[in-house]
Amino acid sequence: MGKTAIQTKDLGKRYGSFWALQNCNISVPEGSVSALVGPNGAGKSTLLKLLTGLSTPSSGESLVLGKAPRQHEDFLSDVGYLAQEIPLYKNLDTAEHVKMGRHLNKRFDEAFMRKRLDGLAIPLDRAVGKLSGGQRAQVALALALAKKPKLLLLDEPVAALDPLARHDFLSSLAQAVAEGGLTVVMSSHLLADLERVSDHAIVLAAGQTQLCDDIEVVLNEHKLLVGPREHGNDLGEGVTVIHATHTVKQSTLLVRMNKGAKPSPHWQKHEPNIEEIILAYMGQANEGGKK
Amino acid sequence: MNWFVWRQHRKQFLIFGVLLAAFAALIIPTGVHYWDTYQQALATCAQSPAIPSCSNLQDNLFTSHTDGLIRITVFLGTFGLPILVGLFIGSPLIAREYEEGTDKLAWTQSVSRRKWLTVKLTWALGFALLYGIAVTSLATWWSHTLDALTQFRFIQGHFETQGLMPVAYTVFFTAIGFTAGTWFRKTLVGLAITFGIFVVCMASFAQWIRPHYMSPVTITSPLTPKASDTKIPEGAWILSRNIVDKEGKTFSSFSPGTMPAQCQKFIQETQVMRSGPDSISVGPSTKTTGDSVEDCLNQAGYRDLAKYQPAYRYWDFQRIEAGIYLGLTALAVGATYWFVLKRDA
Repeated sequence: MGKTAIQTKDLGKRYGSFWALQNCNISVPEGSVSALVGPNGAGKSTLLKLLTGLSTPSSGESLVLGKAPRQHEDFLSDVGYLAQEIPLYKNLDTAEHVKMGRHLNKRFDEAFMRKRLDGLAIPLDRAVGKLSGGQRAQVALALALAKKPKLLLLDEPVAALDPLARHDFLSSLAQAVAEGGLTVVMSSHLLADLERVSDHAIVLAAGQTQLCDDIEVVLNEHKLLVGPREHGNDLGEGVTVIHATHTVKQSTLLVRMNKGAKPSPHWQKHEPNIEEIILAYMGQANEGGKK
Repeated sequence: MNWFVWRQHRKQFLIFGVLLAAFAALIIPTGVHYWDTYQQALATCAQSPAIPSCSNLQDNLFTSHTDGLIRITVFLGTFGLPILVGLFIGSPLIAREYEEGTDKLAWTQSVSRRKWLTVKLTWALGFALLYGIAVTSLATWWSHTLDALTQFRFIQGHFETQGLMPVAYTVFFTAIGFTAGTWFRKTLVGLAITFGIFVVCMASFAQWIRPHYMSPVTITSPLTPKASDTKIPEGAWILSRNIVDKEGKTFSSFSPGTMPAQCQKFIQETQVMRSGPDSISVGPSTKTTGDSVEDCLNQAGYRDLAKYQPAYRYWDFQRIEAGIYLGLTALAVGATYWFVLKRDA
């Protein structure tokens, strides 16, 4: 494992008496593309804002690229951020956004941004407010990438896009990641999309981190066990149930297994996909919330 | 960053430029015309002082309907442009960024929030300062004819539209605009609060605050038939003028019940009244011979008591009030820094 790009310790954010995020402990390795998933209201946006320094934590702390997030040039120039609503200056045209990027950033690669926009056939002379949602998202992504950040934080960037625009956006992102040197954390509740581009998963539910690991590791550690219901308590050493569904005779368990653990032989072992695993964690948090 | 702020707000700056040009287009020709007319009248009166209107030029010059309209337009322009800058440059300056979500875009570029804010505020306040100077230069220059004629520049309504005040207002209301807009993160709320504070300031300063910058001069004089026959020096800002008796009790008017016994005989034939702080009258006496109501009242110990700020204090008052607004501006700017730097996006 290489260095960590993001490390948080008991990070929390409270608005009034409501904790939007609590006891968040995540660790994101440098160079990874992390999927930050969780239901609406789980605190994904809050977490990303804390990591950019746009808001300050109520508790705990975080290290982003080795520094505490702050409103300072040195920190800001290394972090790219794309807010959920994809804010841009509606009255400015695309070319003026390029110019803005150049004026507001020391290390701005104007040629790169122009080339990107050119490749996507986005008109430079049209007010950004008149572009399609997909084009706007591409302009915002190009702007964030041309800043040459070491870390890119994207808050539900594809949520508002149609399937084609979503596909194009993620291709653009994948291409940028392939060029190297970039760590990405991208939130979404669209699990399928993230699966395509991410190699690391963070599950946030009810404001707390449930899972934070490489996708490979996550896939290896989790199994779907199907077996007769009466063996529900006989799982074996080092096996933890994340989520269980039962029919009258049969139980389906999504379990996490420690290294070397073997489930009892009553159980039929299946390989869950990442989406099933994430849903299981989110379901567990929901049930926890209902209790 | 400078290019960017200019690009963001250039439309507003240009619209205000057009408004200023329109204001100048009214001010310059009428100002020249007024000054020429006044100089001609002075020359004519110097040659033949017997012309009746010469004894009372201010009641005979610039009294047409059109002159009235010009005066009102200049007055509204001088009052209105500073508050308009506050409303339409100040209020949206930061509030619109919050409304459009572009605060999150701007604050995640490589410019620190403090620098971003400093550049924005410098542009807004710098523009307000220059704009205020332009407005007051035009208005003060335009008013010099009327000032020479009437010596009214110290009184409410004139004090606010000349000298340092338009500059102070433009800067202050711009600061109030961006402070309120930032606080509530809404342009419209910023507009409403700025306008509300404008109304409060205009209503309260002349009434309750300005009179106290320096202690007023008090003058006691005998009652005269005409209010204008007074020892109050020209150009003074009269704060109060009352009839007082020997004990210092003030009368706004006399009725049969309050009229002293020895003067009761005048009650039928004359009106004894006071109207407003600027004029006071106990007459006109209808009698042409013998004692008059004024003489009677003077003998009974009644006096005309006036409190005023003399004309030579005009620039002191301008400096003091502009200083107060500047101090309030500094507080507002400080609050805006606090809101932007300490609050979450």
